[in-house]
Amino acid sequence: MIKKSMFAVLAATGLALTACGGGGASAGAANGSGGDKITMGFAQVGAESGWRTANTKSVQESAKEAGVDLKFSDAQQKQENQIKAIRSFVQQKVDVIAFSPVVESGWDTVLKEAKDAKIPVILTDRAVDSKDTSLYKTFLGSDFVAEGKKAGEWLVEQSKSSEPVNIVEIQGTTGSAPANDRKQGFEDAIKDDPDLKIVASQSGDFTRSGGKQVMEAFLKNNPDIDVVFAHNDDEGLGAIEAIEAAGKVPGKDIKIITIDAVKDGMTALSNGKINFIVECNPLLGDQLMDLAKKVVAGQDVPQRVVTEETTFTMEQAKQVLSSRQY
Amino acid sequence: MSPLSTLTPPLKKSSAIGYGRLRGGARYAPTLATLGLFLAMFAVGAGMYPSFLSGQVLLNLFIDNTFLTVLAVGMTFVILTGGIDLSVGAVVALSMMVCASLLQAGWNPSMVIPLVILIGGGLGTLMGLVIQYFDIQPFIVTLAGMFLARGLCYVISLDSIPVTDPFFTSMAQARIPLAGDLFISPGVLIAVAVVAVAFFILHHTRFGRTVYALGGNEHSAMLMGLNVKGTKVAVYAVSGLCSAVAGLLFSFYSLSGYSLAAQGMELDAIAAVVIGGTLLTGGTGYVLGSVVGVLVLGIVQTFIAYDGTLSSWWTKIVIGGLLLVFILLQRLFSRKTY
Amino acid sequence: MKSLLKNRLTWPLVALLALLALNQVFRADFLALRMQDGHLYGSLIDILRNGAPTVLIALGMTLVVATRGIDLSVGAIVAIAGAISCSYIASSSDPSSLATAGTAAAIAVVAGLALGVWNGFLVSVIGVQPIIATLVLMTAGRGVAQLVTGGQIVSVSNDHYKSIGAGYAFTLPISILITAAVFVLAAVLTRRTALGTLIEAVGINPVASRLAGIRARNIIWIVYVFSALCAAIAGLMISSNVTAADANNAGLYIEMDAILAVVIGGTSLAGGRYSLVGTVIGAFIIQTLTTTVYTLGIPPEVTLVFKALVVLSVCLLQAPAARNALRRFRPAPKLPAKEKVAI
Repeated sequence: MIKKSMFAVLAATGLALTACGGGGASAGAANGSGGDKITMGFAQVGAESGWRTANTKSVQESAKEAGVDLKFSDAQQKQENQIKAIRSFVQQKVDVIAFSPVVESGWDTVLKEAKDAKIPVILTDRAVDSKDTSLYKTFLGSDFVAEGKKAGEWLVEQSKSSEPVNIVEIQGTTGSAPANDRKQGFEDAIKDDPDLKIVASQSGDFTRSGGKQVMEAFLKNNPDIDVVFAHNDDEGLGAIEAIEAAGKVPGKDIKIITIDAVKDGMTALSNGKINFIVECNPLLGDQLMDLAKKVVAGQDVPQRVVTEETTFTMEQAKQVLSSRQY
Repeated sequence: MSPLSTLTPPLKKSSAIGYGRLRGGARYAPTLATLGLFLAMFAVGAGMYPSFLSGQVLLNLFIDNTFLTVLAVGMTFVILTGGIDLSVGAVVALSMMVCASLLQAGWNPSMVIPLVILIGGGLGTLMGLVIQYFDIQPFIVTLAGMFLARGLCYVISLDSIPVTDPFFTSMAQARIPLAGDLFISPGVLIAVAVVAVAFFILHHTRFGRTVYALGGNEHSAMLMGLNVKGTKVAVYAVSGLCSAVAGLLFSFYSLSGYSLAAQGMELDAIAAVVIGGTLLTGGTGYVLGSVVGVLVLGIVQTFIAYDGTLSSWWTKIVIGGLLLVFILLQRLFSRKTY
Repeated sequence: MKSLLKNRLTWPLVALLALLALNQVFRADFLALRMQDGHLYGSLIDILRNGAPTVLIALGMTLVVATRGIDLSVGAIVAIAGAISCSYIASSSDPSSLATAGTAAAIAVVAGLALGVWNGFLVSVIGVQPIIATLVLMTAGRGVAQLVTGGQIVSVSNDHYKSIGAGYAFTLPISILITAAVFVLAAVLTRRTALGTLIEAVGINPVASRLAGIRARNIIWIVYVFSALCAAIAGLMISSNVTAADANNAGLYIEMDAILAVVIGGTSLAGGRYSLVGTVIGAFIIQTLTTTVYTLGIPPEVTLVFKALVVLSVCLLQAPAARNALRRFRPAPKLPAKEKVAI
């Protein structure tokens, strides 16, 4: 009896260790900075969406191309994990630290430690709200408020007539920075036009199933919907399915505006199912490596570098669809 | 369970409550196994990465996990009675939000800190009362408590609130130097104090004895005349207090109030307690074991940060794998005790 | 009437009906149904279709909880099932055929069964506590799902696959029909054979049941396999509903919903007596709660507080019923009528 369970335990342990070894086999990590290769410690938020994964991939590929030794850490969307990762990067004496803060506040302590250790810090994708801007060298990323604003401005452009326009909003994850900012930007853009009214606003959690479920409920509760504003493409794609299931035509009976410009969204846009997409570009890798090299060499860099982003209508989408990387 | 074990005077440590049915050192087997495995992991890490073998790495484990340590202490009390508390993560976030928003409104820290602790303890007591007097399962009541606390966070503010109060900032950035280059933060001292108080309560007071007895067999405890009802409510109050203190420590650590903070922290606390050798059915376990459990979870994260090549999903797989290895080895070393 | 009040199922059912009534008050045509494209269309149908995966997972969870266990890995299994099936379809030679869809679904189900065997092995053979054993898969499993899809959302366009989660048959959603079939299967297998009694026995008193000769190890193993099977099928429903696999988010927190449904339905987490019907009602309460939030237009910031209050009210409603039920495992025997003594 004891022998059997012991054997079972050992077998399972061996299996588990092999799995760990398989995953970490690519480790052979070189610590500290020795020689000309720059070591960068990158603390990523997590892998909560396709956007985030594309962002990670871009950083990793650019690092390889630029000859930068990348130490990657995934925080599983927890701030304390990012703080731990940055602290261990300081401990490992990397040349430069880059990270996408999962939340805006609370980084002063660990950034001061990095500053005391003379390791420069670059922010990507999201900003921090520290009063002391000397704690980081530059911030490279999108402006979520501007994204919401562009979406709202397009709608204001499109609805010049004085007919009332009923808008339903499918928000992102409650409490997250992109959701808060995009909502605010959109509301700012449409507030001067009295015909544009948001009649319902719920959270779809940035997912397709969330968007579909919320849209189904909207369709039943509000008989007259003219426009759907979804905080990201996935929610919009879910909304499309709900609209089609209700017997309506997305893009014609109900206009759809989304943010992100992922490939599936662009496909829907070129097919006329979505009407307008504001881009949120995750491919920051090259710009990041560029800035990192400059920063390590002691050169001056601008405090704020905005990612190049644009907007797309149906015609524009058809033109660029084949060249979309993700 | 030896019927005499709970009747011996509390001063005799060798026959102290805990693994009542086992003799001598075998009681400590799971916890010692955990400690041994932790040291083994540290050694492996030191062998793999040159900069791993530094005292600061070990101390960072404490600095970066003060809040989880305090949470695990509170959770130990609850799990020892056979219950569970899912609300701890949300109460941590609520404490942080209340703290940050009141400080931003200009309140004095000497008023904010007691208020936050009162809120945490109050919420815990409320949950304990509902569990005890309405006889509803702890899982549901604390899950509802979790929804309530998290919901209140959203109501207070959707945006994150920075904390700029000088007292909090000094607590966050102060470094207490130890020998050589090593340092710890004030939060570590607070966490150690909480652990010490909990250790004393569990092993040297009647309340602690009742907690263990409750977990062993609630009916027997009641028949023996122990204060079952009061204790059951009290452990949830303790857990709530610990959650509030953990929230304060998290505020010191991150100087912000964020409504999405500490999501899933309750599962980390439960994992730490179980890794530390406590049984979920209650009655057996040590609070020091829970502390080692927290260190184990911390060192897994450290491994991954030092490796630097694991993608997001391999990170999850490796965390799960290391946890599995740990559990299996712990089971192997302590199989005779079950 | 008294026996109706004492029935454990009464109060959850009352809560469900009250929620539906609340919706009806706020929107006059809430309960209205009409035909659309050959099937029923309406809010009730949405509740049935969107709630089907939760009901299915909760069914599996009920049997696990009845053996004094818990299965936290169901969310990860949902993600893995969706990831495997969509990746297979996307990389197959004929992405829109019935055969491809069928094979993809079959592979996903087999993977789910394998994961259930793994969970059962850890709990029943090695003796690891269920919460930790399934926590391992919950963490690592989601990583595996993300590994399969490369962290990206894998979209497919296969109408046969789509019908699992979004299709209709006999005017009703196919997903609820599948769930109903699994429910009937589980009910028959556990109540018409000794399996149900054995499961309850293992949960109520493992030591006594072992002394009575019950092979607890096999029973426990079976329930974890069943739970994983339910999760895999639910995973197919969830991903086919949007014809995409989202390994990052599919099934996130669904284990909490499932456990909540089980407990609302009257099964105790301490193991023992379970109620499949109660679980179904509990799962529909959770789904209706989400619908209620949308109907009432409750802003997202306040949603969780609202949910907390409803959950607590449902439990408090149940409490006196629970207490009475605990005190009376069987009704008091009928005393013989007092005989009149002839004086």
